[in-house]
Amino acid sequence: MAIPQRKTDIGPPKYDQFLPPAIKKNYGKWKYHEVITPGTMVHVGESGDKLWTVRVASPRLLSTATIREHCDIAEKFCDGFFRYTTRNNVEFMVADESKLEPLKKELTDRGFKMGGIGNAISNVVHTQGWVHCHSACTDASGLVKAMMDELMPYFESKPLPNKVRLAVACCVNMCGAVHCSDIAVVAVHTKVPEIKHELFKNMCELPTVIGSCPTRAISPDPANKSVKINAEKCMYCGNCFTVCPPISIKDADRDGVAILVGGKVNSLRSNPKFSKLVIPYISNEPPRWPKAVAAIKHIVDVYAANARKHERVGEWIDRIGWERFFSLTGIDFTFQSIDDFTFMRDTMRTASTFKW
Amino acid sequence: METAELQDKIFAFCEAAKGKKKLKEKDIIKGVSAELSLEADVVKKAMRGMIDVGRLMYSYGGGASSVEIPSEEYLREKGMIP
Amino acid sequence: MKKYSTPLIDELEKGPWPSFVTEMKKAAKTNEMSNDAVGHLEKCYATKVGYWKHGGIVGVLGYGGGVIGRYSELGDEFPGVAHFHTVRINQPSGFYYTSAAMKEICDIWDKYGSGLTNVHGSTGDLVLLGTKTDALENIFAEYSSRGWDLGGSGSALRTPSCCLGPSRCEWSNYDTLDLCYALTQEFQDEIHRPMFSYKFKIKMSGCACDCVASIARADMSIIGTWKGDIRIDQAEVANYAKKGMDINAEIIGMCPTQCMSYDGKEIKINNAECNRCMHCITKMTKALRPGTERGATICIGSKAPIVVGSLLSWVIVPFIKVEEPYTEVKDLIRKIWEWWDDNAKPRERIGEVIEMKGMRSFLEGIGQEPIPQQIKEPRKDPFMFYTEEDMVGFKAKEAEEKKTGKYKF
Repeated sequence: MAIPQRKTDIGPPKYDQFLPPAIKKNYGKWKYHEVITPGTMVHVGESGDKLWTVRVASPRLLSTATIREHCDIAEKFCDGFFRYTTRNNVEFMVADESKLEPLKKELTDRGFKMGGIGNAISNVVHTQGWVHCHSACTDASGLVKAMMDELMPYFESKPLPNKVRLAVACCVNMCGAVHCSDIAVVAVHTKVPEIKHELFKNMCELPTVIGSCPTRAISPDPANKSVKINAEKCMYCGNCFTVCPPISIKDADRDGVAILVGGKVNSLRSNPKFSKLVIPYISNEPPRWPKAVAAIKHIVDVYAANARKHERVGEWIDRIGWERFFSLTGIDFTFQSIDDFTFMRDTMRTASTFKW
Repeated sequence: METAELQDKIFAFCEAAKGKKKLKEKDIIKGVSAELSLEADVVKKAMRGMIDVGRLMYSYGGGASSVEIPSEEYLREKGMIP
Repeated sequence: MKKYSTPLIDELEKGPWPSFVTEMKKAAKTNEMSNDAVGHLEKCYATKVGYWKHGGIVGVLGYGGGVIGRYSELGDEFPGVAHFHTVRINQPSGFYYTSAAMKEICDIWDKYGSGLTNVHGSTGDLVLLGTKTDALENIFAEYSSRGWDLGGSGSALRTPSCCLGPSRCEWSNYDTLDLCYALTQEFQDEIHRPMFSYKFKIKMSGCACDCVASIARADMSIIGTWKGDIRIDQAEVANYAKKGMDINAEIIGMCPTQCMSYDGKEIKINNAECNRCMHCITKMTKALRPGTERGATICIGSKAPIVVGSLLSWVIVPFIKVEEPYTEVKDLIRKIWEWWDDNAKPRERIGEVIEMKGMRSFLEGIGQEPIPQQIKEPRKDPFMFYTEEDMVGFKAKEAEEKKTGKYKF
């Protein structure tokens, strides 16, 4: 078949052609919604119309075969309409209540998992990892799979004080709001990069490389027509590697993950917050990262047992204090949790009103 | 100035920077328009015309985008040369 | 097709959560590239390092983005992933699809690529994972002729994205889907032809719940809000109480501004003191609704930690009407880019440039007055600039006071 004539600068198709009829009719005129189960909610329009939504888990990395399965289900129950969520779930919507149970039955029969709505753990926002990224120091998809297998009850049925948003970043570039999650896993390098000096001249721009370093650890190395790195200043961020491929920072034994907690993006009750570092290092343990998974599960369980209704992880910690968070969780407090980068003056305690 | 002549000047500007500095669109537009006392938009349009036919190309490296003279490999891949 | 032994990643096919390894293997059944991707990943798991090289120079003619070059260091061992480029397809607003459209997307991808996708990537694009350089022009022709364009990458406007807004949410304070579509169309050139110093992201949320995390990961965060009174349905308030909600503990007690009260019968709100955080509205969906004068707050600057720490977006314009044809928003975006372009060094996000050049320079550059809504607290140091104009202003005010005999601070 001949290749069709290309078009440029057309942008995406207009969204309205993909909206189900019930949504077109009630667009901007929804009155309220109710969460029925962690997998189902209903939206009610000012017109009295109702729309049921079923949310289904997805590994984000999808084969076309599975996407076609989504299409088949949408055709069978939803007149061919469906959508994905910002956290990579799939949503099927029906305006006719009699289709709801058959839809759910079909999803169950096909092995799809429903959940993630309301005070639950929804899908994990994550990055590419070893599957497809050059700067990954862990595999995000594998970590997510191992975490969610363990946290499945919180996705499907077990209620929490509020939602818990999880994220995994496979390096400190953190594609995707990892830095404001209830619990975030960030993969870290822990060693000063090595430089292939003979390749530097042809592949890198000296001022760009020097400028890329947040701690000014990089200086010119005229003898090698390259740069040198001051090991005492380097914090292993890898930004120099991003701008200059001959600088190598990967290390199989030393790369690992850190865990940060207490972030959020919404403004409900309290303002958006960054996640803060509580566990500085856990070794990479593919294929299932047992220690990292256990740590996350433990933090979720302690939160579930101690937070008040509607408190997010960060709000719970703000109330009880970080010293109490560390004592309740039993997590060792380390130097890495004290900021020695840019935020020290804002993060040290300046009063004697702490708890024992 | 004729577009063809302007495009030759733009090409020469890029050639002079080759291997020394990665040029962004902005660098070319500012540099050439200052050199020839032309409106930035005129230079931009002429440069875009060159990119559209593969005389120049967008490149990416070191975490940022730039504009450069295409390699033969690129031109062959796009069917511009046999 | 080569059969790889994959004992490590096979472990990730166990357990209840859907498995990405299963997805890769599904694609690998009929696709050589995916098959090698499976073997390649197993090798990463065995050695605990990745083998992808830096992005290279690939793309479609005339565009400077939308395709991310990806090559493996192990191309000889896994020829199917020697080239494994990513194609970003600009998603429709709100991630809605029809099965017909989605199947067409799949058909093209099966023909030219690995059959693997991310639905969706972090920025919002529908991401097609893994194809070869010589397939790119055909892929673009096939998709664009059917109405699909590429998304942004590199030093460009990245594909704008939005929450589902008024399509299925009662809290949306403006039409996020339509604004997202309109801005994407308006700025096609900025998306496809990298002309900035670095990336620029725009994300649109309909309310303070911020379901697309715009406050944390968009250079420009457009977050819906309202003026005026929260609408209360007291009969529904009574229903919540009857069903067992402890309104004083769960709603009144958790209100950050303490602007509400409940006497066992009715909720009263001192709306002037409400900061529109959305807590009460999200917990009593049937009883409380946002006010009716709707618009958005525009915040600028958020980004991930590279280079000197993460930023959350700063409030710049507390309230802006967001109505078709969105001229005010578009003009503001152009002014913001102009200031950024004039002041940025290479690879500097706008938040970093504002930190370097000062918020005053930015606000003046885009024509915004200073107002208390922009700050959490005023400066605490006495090191500040006084321009000649400032001094003239201060002196003129005092002269005026002398005339009227009334201080104006």
